[in-house]
Amino acid sequence: MRGFWYVVNNIESFVSRALLLTFVCLLFTQIVAREVFGFSISWIEELSVYMFVWFVFFGASHAAKMGAHNRVTFQFRMLPAKVVRYIEAFADLFWISFNVYFIYLAIDFIFNRMNRFQSSQTMGFHLSYVYIALPIAFTLMTIRILQVNYRRIVVGEDVTDPDKIDLDEIRDEMQRGHDDPNGRVG
Amino acid sequence: MEVSIVSVLFGSFIALLLIGAPITVALGVASLLSIIYLGDNPIKIVQIAFTSVASFPLMALPAFILAGALMEAAGISRRLINVAESFAGPFTGGISAATVMACLFFGAISGSGPATTAAVGMLMIPAMIQRGYDRGYASAVTASAGGLGIVIPPSIPMVIFGIAALGMPAPPEAVEKFGTFQTVSISKLFIAGFIPAFIIAGSLLILNYFMSKKRGYTGSADGWSARQIFCELYRGFFALMAPVVILGGIYTGFFTPTEAAIIAIFYTLVVGAFIYRELTWESLNRSLETTTWLTGRVLLILFTATVFGRLLVENRIPAIIADGMLSLTDNIYFIWGLLIVFLLFVGMFMETLAAILILVPVMLPVAYSVGIDPIHFGVVMICTLGIGFQTPPLGENLFIASGISNISIEEISLRALPFAAVNTIAIFVIAFFPELSLWLPRLFGY
Amino acid sequence: KNFKIALGDSAGSAQEALGKAFVAALEEKSGGAHTGDLFLNGQLGSEQDTVNEAAMGTLDMSILAINNVTPFSPTVGILTLPYVILSLEEAETLTQGAIGDELTANTIEDAGVRILGWSYTGFRRLTNSVRPVETVEDLQGLVIRVPKNEIMIATYNAWGVNPTPMAWAETFAALQQGVVDGQDNPYLTINAMKFDEVQTYITDIRYIFSLEPLVISEQVFQDLSEEDQQMLIEAGKEATLVSAQFLRDQEEAIKERLTTEGGMEITQPANNEEEFISLATEAVWPQFYDSIGGIEKMNEVLAILGRDPVE
Ligand code: NA
Ligand code: NA
Repeated sequence: MRGFWYVVNNIESFVSRALLLTFVCLLFTQIVAREVFGFSISWIEELSVYMFVWFVFFGASHAAKMGAHNRVTFQFRMLPAKVVRYIEAFADLFWISFNVYFIYLAIDFIFNRMNRFQSSQTMGFHLSYVYIALPIAFTLMTIRILQVNYRRIVVGEDVTDPDKIDLDEIRDEMQRGHDDPNGRVG
Repeated sequence: MEVSIVSVLFGSFIALLLIGAPITVALGVASLLSIIYLGDNPIKIVQIAFTSVASFPLMALPAFILAGALMEAAGISRRLINVAESFAGPFTGGISAATVMACLFFGAISGSGPATTAAVGMLMIPAMIQRGYDRGYASAVTASAGGLGIVIPPSIPMVIFGIAALGMPAPPEAVEKFGTFQTVSISKLFIAGFIPAFIIAGSLLILNYFMSKKRGYTGSADGWSARQIFCELYRGFFALMAPVVILGGIYTGFFTPTEAAIIAIFYTLVVGAFIYRELTWESLNRSLETTTWLTGRVLLILFTATVFGRLLVENRIPAIIADGMLSLTDNIYFIWGLLIVFLLFVGMFMETLAAILILVPVMLPVAYSVGIDPIHFGVVMICTLGIGFQTPPLGENLFIASGISNISIEEISLRALPFAAVNTIAIFVIAFFPELSLWLPRLFGY
Repeated sequence: KNFKIALGDSAGSAQEALGKAFVAALEEKSGGAHTGDLFLNGQLGSEQDTVNEAAMGTLDMSILAINNVTPFSPTVGILTLPYVILSLEEAETLTQGAIGDELTANTIEDAGVRILGWSYTGFRRLTNSVRPVETVEDLQGLVIRVPKNEIMIATYNAWGVNPTPMAWAETFAALQQGVVDGQDNPYLTINAMKFDEVQTYITDIRYIFSLEPLVISEQVFQDLSEEDQQMLIEAGKEATLVSAQFLRDQEEAIKERLTTEGGMEITQPANNEEEFISLATEAVWPQFYDSIGGIEKMNEVLAILGRDPVE
């Protein structure tokens, strides 16, 4: 059961990582096919781009869960952390409104407005299967925004800035080479 | 009419930034408000969300982020820095000069400024302190040179600039006046950044030489060790090959930047797993994870910035700004001065990639209208925003250097000021002599 | 009303000539009540994006290559098949006659856009830097760049050549570096892109005639009064005539410039292009009968042009 909730709580991250791994391998296959065997697989580029679209918007939702979307914060330097949390939560109300409106527009676009012939050139499926990533990802993102603000304000957690490079980690990393004076040359 | 839409668009954008909304939200909400204000139908932003992201060249972004993260995990980064360190010889300011060189080396595999500072600083700042360098000076040199990471190719900001500029062709009035402009491509930008990176590195090295002389930082007593250099070169062979693999493919025209990054990923996997044997499943997973949220964050800004940019174009706002500037002066050097000072100012507060995405739609048409080449403009823009890494209040390199040396950000930024000054001079040189950026791409036939 | 008109091409193109003529005609007819604002160079999005935007009524008009309409309304593809059109006059006959009206009805139904006028950019001519090409035989061994377009690729395949699909932005550099030997484009484009600097030989093949219609959002169109609608249709017709004249005037001057200043050599295909034509039409046409509405449609078009039907 805990495993299930772990997956649910990191769903965007799982989906994005799997997509990333897949399109990187697909593109590598394409390069090898072209340079070594002299032919190109026509659907690879198009399929990779569509996977990339899913990857990007799910990645954006994952970034929202980590509180990673850049804000300009120098103006808050003199304010106590607690006040800043409330101000940012207020700003997030605009974010949520934007998302809700965008989800409405995206659903309207996909189900009522899209041209019925608009399909993948090489694979034939209708492009709504790619566009559908938009309402799904923005819905997830909206949930994540609420989740982060809940953790910050109700639980009082410090959602750490993922940009902060973990210096201890790098220090360990760099230390490894010095412990082994001869290095490891293959 | 134009005035009121400008105030709705920029007014709500700045207001949202000031209350701490994420940059992407500020752009998106400001655009949406303006569309509604104009009485237009906002449904077109759905298509922009798709088309702004669904582009093959854009896939270079996650590929380079992933390649950089893997190189770190595979031990390639560390070996490159060791090579640079071994060159720190008996001359004045030797080890700090080696720090600048290390940033240049490292920059040739990494597309990011802060990553360069972190990797190089972790080794070189303690080494400098050990040899009697002032902590603040050691940190300042590293924070300043870390910006080289985005000027020397490959460069994530250049990928972003290329994407933003591709959608911004020269306005017809400019073409009429100056003839056709060359098209922007990421490959061209990568080649164009090469010489400017060495000019900036040179300016930092010269200042370092004089400062070290004044402060009495002589080189190490034991002099140069040919054996040591050879040893590091030997150990670092596969690491040194990484930039060759990445840049060689792009420069010869064999690979697109996206493909070069994909090849770098597989090269690193092989070297890290079978030769250096430092790459683990866990670090591979962590690299994928970092790539995921970093890409998602930047490209969400790309989406809203594209909507924002479209509104600017539809309402002819860049043309108005350009006319305003040209009514002040039509001296190209003066206009360059204005552009650079403005970019330095923005770089103080705003994250680099966001700054590029917001400013390209506004500034590139202005550059075109005074006859500035788009590739040249991109190089200058990225060099200038590179200084932003070392200027407070938002200076990513300062934060990292301060974390390593335990010196306050205020002190480091003060010590970094002279470096920022020579760096700025170097940028003016790069801006005033377009051939410094444009000669090399032409030589390669682009 | 001030119509927003998106154009994919730059200043000096046939698209711009049509756009300007249309705006001028519209201003004159409406006594200045209606006008248009041209956004060149794809500033309002790629040509394909503009079709969707016009369909939703968020963009008023767009001038774009016909092959960018095909994905949204497949029947217009008939105009893009090789050697359907063999002269400017035939292009005018098809687009301004019953076939043109029928295709417009289809684009309204399928894609939500109405074709108001046509710009004629001319035949795509083959250029290369290696040798004069007179016969299909001469073409063998040359590396030719094409856009990522299945009809063009199929045509070259029919001639026994495996072309290199390449993005437009990379093409000039690729010709310069010799990565590819040749490409095909109308004279207007060859001239605008200064291809004479990197290419020597032109062959006057006629395999595809570049058509670039002016489309209006049907939603925007229906919101106008009947009188205004009529005005737009008339202005479109006038602009179309201007575009045809523009092509006639330009092509001669450009040929002159390319051969003298540009030092290029123009070759006529051997035997009135018959070998090129038969290879292409026999291999390519049957592949696309389904998407254009059947072989009957093709024969209808051929009958209008006074040519023999196919089986
Ligand atoms: Na770099
Ligand atoms: Na800064």
